[in-house]
Amino acid sequence: MSARWFLVSGAAIGVATTACILAFAWLLTGCITGAIDGRPLGELLPQVGILVVVALVRAVLVYAQELVAARGAARVKSELRLGVLDAVRRLGPAWLAEQNSSRVATLLGRGMDALDDYFSKYLPQLILTVIVTPVIVLVILLNDPISAAFILVTLPLIPIFMILIGLATQSVQRRQWTILGDLSSGFVDTLGGLATLKIFGRERRQVDRMRSITRDYRTQTMRVLRVSFLSSFALELAASLSVALVAVSIGLRLVDGSMGLSVGLFVLLLAPEAFLPLRQVGTNFHAAAEGVAAAEDAFEVLDLAKERPADAAALAAQADAASGTLTLTAVSVDYGNGPVLAPVSGEFPIGTVTVIVGASGAGKSSLLGAILGFAPHTGTIALDGTTILSSAHERPWLAWTGQRPSLVVGSVADNVALGAEMDPERVRSALDLAAAPEISPELAVGVAGAGLSGGQAQRVGIARAIYRSLDRGCSVVLLDEPSSALDTRTESALLDGLRVLADSGIAVVVVSHRRAVIERADAVLTVEPRVLAGAP
Amino acid sequence: MRAHVRPGGVNAREVRSILSTAQPRTAGWVWGVVFGVLAALSTVALLATSAFLITRAAEQPPILYLSMAVVGVRAFALGRAFFRYLERLASHDAAFRQLETVRVDLLKRLIPLAPDGLGRTRRGSLLSSLVSDVDELQNLPLRVVQPLLTSVGVAAIAVWVVALLSPTAAVGLAVALVAAFGIGIVVAGSVAASAERTLAPKRAALLDALLDYLGSIDVLIAYGAEEAGREKVTAADRNLTRALTARSLGAGIAAAALSLFSGLAVAWSLVAGIPALSETGSGGLSGPGLAVIVLVPLAVFEVVASVPLAVSAWRQVRSSAQRIARVAPNEAPTEIACRGGSSERMPDPAAPAIDLSAVAARWPGATVPALSVPSFSVRRGERVLIEGASGAGKTTLAHVLVRFLEYSGSYRLFGQDVRELPVETVRGVVGLCEQIPYLFDESVRQNLLFARETATDADLLDVLDRVGLGRWVADRGGLDARVGERGSLVSGGQAQRIALARALLRDFPVIVFDEPTANVEADLAEALLEDLLRASSDHTVVLISHGDIPAGLVDRRVSVIDGILVEAGSLPA
Repeated sequence: MSARWFLVSGAAIGVATTACILAFAWLLTGCITGAIDGRPLGELLPQVGILVVVALVRAVLVYAQELVAARGAARVKSELRLGVLDAVRRLGPAWLAEQNSSRVATLLGRGMDALDDYFSKYLPQLILTVIVTPVIVLVILLNDPISAAFILVTLPLIPIFMILIGLATQSVQRRQWTILGDLSSGFVDTLGGLATLKIFGRERRQVDRMRSITRDYRTQTMRVLRVSFLSSFALELAASLSVALVAVSIGLRLVDGSMGLSVGLFVLLLAPEAFLPLRQVGTNFHAAAEGVAAAEDAFEVLDLAKERPADAAALAAQADAASGTLTLTAVSVDYGNGPVLAPVSGEFPIGTVTVIVGASGAGKSSLLGAILGFAPHTGTIALDGTTILSSAHERPWLAWTGQRPSLVVGSVADNVALGAEMDPERVRSALDLAAAPEISPELAVGVAGAGLSGGQAQRVGIARAIYRSLDRGCSVVLLDEPSSALDTRTESALLDGLRVLADSGIAVVVVSHRRAVIERADAVLTVEPRVLAGAP
Repeated sequence: MRAHVRPGGVNAREVRSILSTAQPRTAGWVWGVVFGVLAALSTVALLATSAFLITRAAEQPPILYLSMAVVGVRAFALGRAFFRYLERLASHDAAFRQLETVRVDLLKRLIPLAPDGLGRTRRGSLLSSLVSDVDELQNLPLRVVQPLLTSVGVAAIAVWVVALLSPTAAVGLAVALVAAFGIGIVVAGSVAASAERTLAPKRAALLDALLDYLGSIDVLIAYGAEEAGREKVTAADRNLTRALTARSLGAGIAAAALSLFSGLAVAWSLVAGIPALSETGSGGLSGPGLAVIVLVPLAVFEVVASVPLAVSAWRQVRSSAQRIARVAPNEAPTEIACRGGSSERMPDPAAPAIDLSAVAARWPGATVPALSVPSFSVRRGERVLIEGASGAGKTTLAHVLVRFLEYSGSYRLFGQDVRELPVETVRGVVGLCEQIPYLFDESVRQNLLFARETATDADLLDVLDRVGLGRWVADRGGLDARVGERGSLVSGGQAQRIALARALLRDFPVIVFDEPTANVEADLAEALLEDLLRASSDHTVVLISHGDIPAGLVDRRVSVIDGILVEAGSLPA
């Protein structure tokens, strides 16, 4: 929507700009030739007045163009951003996990800003090229066909030259950019490894190494730039030479009297204007390419989401009970390349603590993903005999926390009572059960759990699951490696808390490697990787 | 993104000194400016000589009188493109040469600070933003100083040339240029300033909301809080879009003012020039002269259009310099150990390897000590485990031992007071295997060799065998196998083994392991610990760990509880 509005107003501004350019050149020619013909200032003053008015209108148009560009960019960015966000929700956590969420955040945050230059510098000039250039060439053609011929010959040369130079230098450029990437990462690498270098007493020598890396970086970059600057050289040369050719040819025809001064001056003033928008397009080509790349990344996500139907219908049909016994029957996970774990069957009775064990990479997290609805599975997952559909939506009977606590910005209490009404007493008791009696509910949590240590964040995550189970009466609490960042004393306190929780009528399921956890569980469920025949 | 900010403001002198390192003062740079002025002058001269040529030709003089103008038009057309190319080459070359100074200067600032003076969290994003800030500094010569010098130079020359033909027109042109410069600088400056003030926090808020939402989408869904979470992002987006729309009102003012003043200067030249046409003598103006003074302003303003862009580039360069000054101040904070003694006494072989008494250490910016050690000593050849919850102060101890952090109290290494020893000497005795060992984006060989440059391939393979990586490196095709960016091709356990291999190559008498199993799958942790301790069996070992470790691996256990180290009694070896 915004894009169309942007194009329409851009075109309107383009038409008005063309009119201003023509009027300005025509009035200016009139004033100069009039004065040379001997007309006094008083007689020409009205024309000069109109000239000032035209300049004023032109300034307003320049302002309007920037205004439209800035607004258009802001609107389109917002529309695209929210659209992609919608698509991400539809694609679900399993897709996001493959993508690296900070990369997606960068695409939606700073990545979208690459569209700014596209909208403010590239697109308006492109519109002007389409509108201004043909009209001006036509006007020149009507006044002086010879000059128009010069321009018509050189104008197409600009894109042709740029493409030819681009093609000729492409392979050189690509090779150089790889070298450049290596050299520039050398700097990042040295800064990142500074502590390590200090441990080995190598930091002083890095100064010399940095010097030589940067020197190589310069030599290589300049090799690339010498070639890249050639294309803008060709652009400038074609534009200014054709203006020069027009001027000289007009001059020679004026001398032999085959042309009038007013026509000559008018065409001379218009000739550079025919090239200006195209030159701007060429100059801003790079900015445009970045914007297009960002937009393409966004569209890719949108297209991907379109292939997946919204699971609203499935959600409406699903009316999960809030409690019951969870059973797995021959459950395995299949992302589309065959099952990743050997089928698992088991039951998690209320009042017990079950520990799920298995070597790393056996597929324990995938199994949890299946129970949560994030990973596509085979076999049956059922609650009191009712099959649970596989889709990423809230399960009223389940309280879960993953290996990463994934805390949101707010207070500890906000996190513990996530998605539920806040009850300060319940928050306190959930924290106590999660072996976190020393953590204050008022403590602030920053982005990605900033402000808490790893062990603290882990226990806040556990308290969040406990709070939910108390609040909603969930019958299953699922914890993935809950004690991996805890010392033995805290771990033991946590296991006490989980036992209290189980005794209150909840099935506690824990994925863990820790000996203490396994020793104190009521049952052990082993997950094994799928052994592929013929695999190395 | 919220970078870690050191308390206290930015020192203006440091910002100036960083900016001054970024500005080249070489002959190459001066040539760049000269070529830039010549290119811009060619642009103006092309239009002026063309106008002169046409109006003079209309007077139908003998063609000979026009040949100079014809040559001039062609030469300036070529000159514009040619000088522009040379300018870009010269100025980019000079800027890249300067990058050498800038990077080395930054490295020298960072060396004493690393790692603990750089903030404890988000060190990675801090460094990558530092790198892009350093790159941004290149824009000081390229996009700020050069365009300003070129614009001012060309404007001055153009005013002078017009003044030769018509002083009145020149005054008008000068006034219009000064007004355009002024408005360009003031408006572009205030637009950029308001963007920094109002937009930057909104942009950061949006990014934080996005990271928050995307990073916890699974939790939000499972807790039925997804819609509320998404609403936060939508609100942040609405906020930013509204601010952007409001700011768009200011975006075009500078460009519009330039366009307007260019038109006014042309009109003024007509008003000033036309009456002079009829005058004769020294005050008179010829027809071609009138065309020149009327058209020159058009071309000059095209050159001057770079001034508002230079002003906003300056803003960005300056905030980059401020960020660098904040992250990497010239003076290291007092909590960071950087000065050692110069004692060259021989160590006492009978004394304990490490002997601490009444030691306390603080992190930069903290008011309370992160660690107090009433008394702690490690015998030569002993293996000691330091337990404690995460955040209790165990890493602080490790960093005191290798002199990353300054301490108060007494720390003796083989009987010598550590304060009297050069920092390098201490680091030659005590080696640290970091919690996240840094792997350089190079081959396995390069990642080991810097620990001992004289090592042969046989030495390297031998040490890899000792740390349990013999098979692994053979499967990967030998020592030339790459480890990936920040060790992305290597697991947490393998990284720890490589770190130990380095320490063994350097042959530190004392090796400190900082949480070697923190980033290792729990079922592999035990085997890793066993391998690490076996490989370092003839060294003195301080092992820091939060979890339980199998009995028999260490001689003694001590605990760090809430920042205080307590001896928990000896266990049988």
